[in-house]
Amino acid sequence: MGANIYRNKKPALVFLLPAFLFMIVFLYYPFFKNILNSFMEIKQLGSSGTSFNSPWYSNYVEMFQDENVWTSVKNTLVMMVVTLVGQVGIAIVLALMVDNIGRGKGFFRTVFFFPIVISATALGLLFNLIFLYDKGMVNQLLEVLGKQNLTDWKAEGIALFTMMLPVMWQYVGFYFVILVTGLNNISDELYEAAKIDGATTLQRVRYISVPLLHNVICTCSVLAVTGALKVFDLPWVMFPKGMPLKSTFLTGTYMYYHTMETKNVDYGAAIAVLIVVLGVVLAKIVNSIFREKDY
Amino acid sequence: MMRKKIIAAMLAGAMVLSVTACGGQGGEGNTQTATNTESNTTSNAGNDTESDQAETAPAAEATGPVELVVTTTFAGEDTNAQNYKDAVAAWEAETGNTIVDTSASSSETFKTRVVTDFETGSEPDVLFFFTGADSNSFIEAGKVVSIDEIRAVYPEYATNMNDDLITNSLVDNKKYAVPANGIWEAMFFNTEILEAAGVDKPGADYTIDQFKADCEKIKAAGYTPIAAALGNIPHYWWEFAIFNNQSPATHLEIPASVDDANGQAWVAGMNDIKELYELGYFPDNTLSATDDETFAMFTEGKAAFLIDGSWKVGGIVGACQSDPEDPSTLDVDKLAKFDVTYVPGKGDRKATDLIGGISSGYFITRKAWEDPEKQAAAVSFVEHMTSDSVIPAFAQHAASALKNAPEVDESEFNILQIKAMDMMSGATSLTAPVQDLFMGDCRVSTFDGMPEIVTGKVSAEDAVAEGIEAYQNQ
Repeated sequence: MGANIYRNKKPALVFLLPAFLFMIVFLYYPFFKNILNSFMEIKQLGSSGTSFNSPWYSNYVEMFQDENVWTSVKNTLVMMVVTLVGQVGIAIVLALMVDNIGRGKGFFRTVFFFPIVISATALGLLFNLIFLYDKGMVNQLLEVLGKQNLTDWKAEGIALFTMMLPVMWQYVGFYFVILVTGLNNISDELYEAAKIDGATTLQRVRYISVPLLHNVICTCSVLAVTGALKVFDLPWVMFPKGMPLKSTFLTGTYMYYHTMETKNVDYGAAIAVLIVVLGVVLAKIVNSIFREKDY
Repeated sequence: MMRKKIIAAMLAGAMVLSVTACGGQGGEGNTQTATNTESNTTSNAGNDTESDQAETAPAAEATGPVELVVTTTFAGEDTNAQNYKDAVAAWEAETGNTIVDTSASSSETFKTRVVTDFETGSEPDVLFFFTGADSNSFIEAGKVVSIDEIRAVYPEYATNMNDDLITNSLVDNKKYAVPANGIWEAMFFNTEILEAAGVDKPGADYTIDQFKADCEKIKAAGYTPIAAALGNIPHYWWEFAIFNNQSPATHLEIPASVDDANGQAWVAGMNDIKELYELGYFPDNTLSATDDETFAMFTEGKAAFLIDGSWKVGGIVGACQSDPEDPSTLDVDKLAKFDVTYVPGKGDRKATDLIGGISSGYFITRKAWEDPEKQAAAVSFVEHMTSDSVIPAFAQHAASALKNAPEVDESEFNILQIKAMDMMSGATSLTAPVQDLFMGDCRVSTFDGMPEIVTGKVSAEDAVAEGIEAYQNQ
């Protein structure tokens, strides 16, 4: 009798049903509807497609011929590398450094985490002022240092750097906190034993901290790569419509551009499908690369 | 065992309660709705009487409290943003009704938002919106009420307007929107920069060749000749560059092909902008700057010329105030440095042939019209906003459609508004913007594609041809 209560799965189904219905209404229905929309001709946002495109797969043909799609995919992949190296990489360094200081850990934790609580849109506006061509903070500093001409930080060659820098900066604190928590879970006894055996600080980091952080680093890496696919608001605020010369489009911003700005809604739906495919493929690759170890 | 059953029962009970609570919230909402409906019914009874009265009494008399959702473009740097707030506040005080204002600066995003609101059934009750192709979708869907239909119930509705000046819809040739004020597009300039560069004030016979010569002098003097963000808002240059290769008689003809006369005029227009870009007359960051940035260059005395609309007068005045919200902080000397003149002409288009007209107005939505509680209030609101006493404040230096436009009292205007009125008095024609007819994705190749055109990555022919093809596919 005692074990029978666990064999009866019906109560669990009742508890799962609301969430399941929620997922169907707000995730699966829009997802499949979006796939259908990518084959339809839609004139306005909010209106239904009245007929299929001719041929029905024309948006996908156009997508493969559209240079901007390739630019946005390339930029998104660059963004992934930048988030891996710039966010997780810097977060590891910062976490290890903070873990090795005696006092002020809480202070640094708060300071590094703080950018996360600011909305990306507000940060976009903030960095717009920092990188402003005329009287922007960076250009004023360079002027003080003797630079004669103003630098256009949003010009074609440098725009991607200007866009990715604040994105990178914003999320370092997030991974930093996860990694610091991971470091706290490593037993002090291991460090003490290593210290007694004569290990230096660097050796303790190399042979204790980093190996035991492996799974946490893997989790951070997967989050960073999948998160890079979703970056939207900050780049759009700083570089609307892929300015300049459509060189800063990411897959998300390019989809939004077609859906909201050019009113080419069905093409936007096709780009959304591409984003999903890209996300699934990249998530698989990343999961196989950053496989967690059992200890 | 019994304890586990009790716990399970409690958990299930808690879940049921929480679900009921969620439902309860809805139920509460429903109750509230029911209450609202009840009050609506009560109000409706009042409004029925009111409607009856309206049939005998010409003007709509809204009795509060009614809440109207209103969307306009009177926001941000628009000249009339403050006038709009004042007029709304006066109507609210007079009627006891309230306005939920969802106004925003005019932009493609704003237009998309409005059209999407209609598509999804969340349109406002009253909107001040464009009467060109922008409004086609919701007129086609029958979601706004024509002036004739309103006049059938409220015979005096908009009778203070000259009907000939109320724009007909492109969809069914009916009149839907009651205009508030006209607009014009012209060229603002900074007199201080022109003096420093040894350039005379441009006049009514200003040509594009003289303009280029002046730009060269201004550039040599260390200033940026033209404030424009070609990567963000190339609209005004697009319009005039095409106009300069046509005439007022042909400007509203959309090319059937890139090879016909109008198509070639459009290509020539794009190439004219490309030439100015290659000559270095636009800001160094024109492809990456926003319109706000280049406008700031102009108001801060770093760029000499700015082609923009009549609504920008308020933006320039605001930039000359230490507190943009407080007119008493206006720096009159700074404002005196700004002037406005005609956009340089070319060929069959004289400089005094302007782009402008009355291209926006107040629409009443079908949703508000069929809501007995809101109908009279919506009509009353539009009547108030387009009355003989309110319109002059909005029209200022621009035209209006009033039958009896009051005499303009110049003492109420600032120096830039007076200069604008002088400029307008010399206009020889006013032609509507062709971009109001050329809407949607057909614009993309020459608006968003302007940086590609001026940098030579895409030829003007290809960009225009792509736009025409998209237009024909609409």
